Amino acid sequence: MALMPKRVKHRKAQRGRIRGNATRGNRVVFGQFGLQATQGGWISAATIEAGRIAAQQYLRGEGRLYIRVFPHKPITSIPLETRMGKGKGEPEYWAAVVRPGTILYEIGGVNEDMAKICFARLAHKMPVRVQLVKRHAGT
Amino acid sequence: MSTRARFAAGVLPYLRGECLPRVTGAVFLDNLLDSYGVGKVGEAMTKAEVLNAEIRDTRGTRAARRMRAAGKVPAVLYGHGQEAVSLALPADRLAAAVRHGHRLLQLQGGVNEQCLIKQLQWDVWGKELLHVDLTRVYADERVKVEVPIELHGEAPGIKSGGVLTQVLATVEVECPAAAVPDKIQININHLEVNQALTVADLDLPENVKALTPADEIVVHCPEAVEAPEETTEGPAEPELIQRQSGEAGEEG
Repeated sequence: MALMPKRVKHRKAQRGRIRGNATRGNRVVFGQFGLQATQGGWISAATIEAGRIAAQQYLRGEGRLYIRVFPHKPITSIPLETRMGKGKGEPEYWAAVVRPGTILYEIGGVNEDMAKICFARLAHKMPVRVQLVKRHAGT
Repeated sequence: MSTRARFAAGVLPYLRGECLPRVTGAVFLDNLLDSYGVGKVGEAMTKAEVLNAEIRDTRGTRAARRMRAAGKVPAVLYGHGQEAVSLALPADRLAAAVRHGHRLLQLQGGVNEQCLIKQLQWDVWGKELLHVDLTRVYADERVKVEVPIELHGEAPGIKSGGVLTQVLATVEVECPAAAVPDKIQININHLEVNQALTVADLDLPENVKALTPADEIVVHCPEAVEAPEETTEGPAEPELIQRQSGEAGEEG
C-alpha cells in the first residue's frame, strides 16, 4: 500500500515553492549506494511505491533497500468538468517534496554493478532526474 | 614529495615503456599504488601529505566563494592551546589527499606544522570541499579518529537466503597520529545466516585500539523476510488531529 501519514493537523496544504538545494537528507547514511535527485519536484506515494517494487523485484531478497523520502504533503485537485471557484479541491494523493540533492533511495549489501542496474531500473520511474552516489568514507 | 612529483617519478617511466620489461604485474601495481601514496589495505597512512598553506586575512561568505573560484579551500588550524590560524589550501591537492585516505597533513609556506584533518565540509552533491578543520598534532601523539570499515570477501550466508546488512560503517579508534589507518577490514568469508560480526572481530593494525564498544555489531546476515501481503484495506485518509474544545474557546 502506498505511504501516507497516520495523523495530520490539516487535511489540505498550500502548494509552496521548491527553492534551493537539499541541506539535509543529502548524504548516504544507511546503505553503500544512494539515488540522489538532481532536480526538485513532487514524488507521489504511488511513484515511491513503484520504485520500491522495481528495485525489490531486481534485488530478489539480496541486499537491502532503504526509502529515504516520505509523502507528507497532501495534493488536492478539482474534478473534471467542474466550474471554477467553490473552494479548494479535495485531497487526491500524497507527495514527497524533493529538493535537488535529496537522497531518495539507498541500497546496502550488494556490489556496485548490481546497485547501478537496480537504480537504473528505479530511475525510469522517477519524475525527477537522478544520479547514483556512494557513501563518503570517514571524516 | 608532492603527489604530482610522485606520479611523474613513479608512473611516467612505466607509461614510456622504460620499466615494463623489467617488472612483473604485481611489482608494477605496488609501485603504482606507492606512487599515488596509497598503501596496502588496512595499512597505516604513515606519510604526511605535504600541502602549501597560505595564511588568509579575508573572512566571510563572499571572500570564501572567491577563494573557491580561484581553486583554493578555506581552512582553519587550531589545537595545542595555540591561536587559531585561518588558511587557504590548494583545492586539487587537498581533494586528492582526502580521496586517497590521508588524514595527516604537513603544512608548508604560511605555517610549518603537522596537522590532522578534523572535519570536512562538502557541498550539496558531496563532490567539492567547502571548508576544512585542521588540528595540530605531533607524530607520536595518540589521537581519536573515525575510520571507515570495509567488508572483505563473500558471505556464504547470502547464498543460504540471508541479507547482508552492514550496521556500522565507521569505527572510532585511538592510534598514533602518524599511523592512522585509511580503512579497517573485516573478513566476512565465514558469515552464515543469523550470524553477526562485532567490533571485536575487526582486523586492527598494531598500535590501533578500538574505542567503539567491542560487542557492537558491525555486520550481520539475518534471514530474508518476505514482504507482507499487500492489503488494500485501511483508512483512505489519515486521522485529523482535533483541537481540544477548551483550547478553541480560550483562543476565541
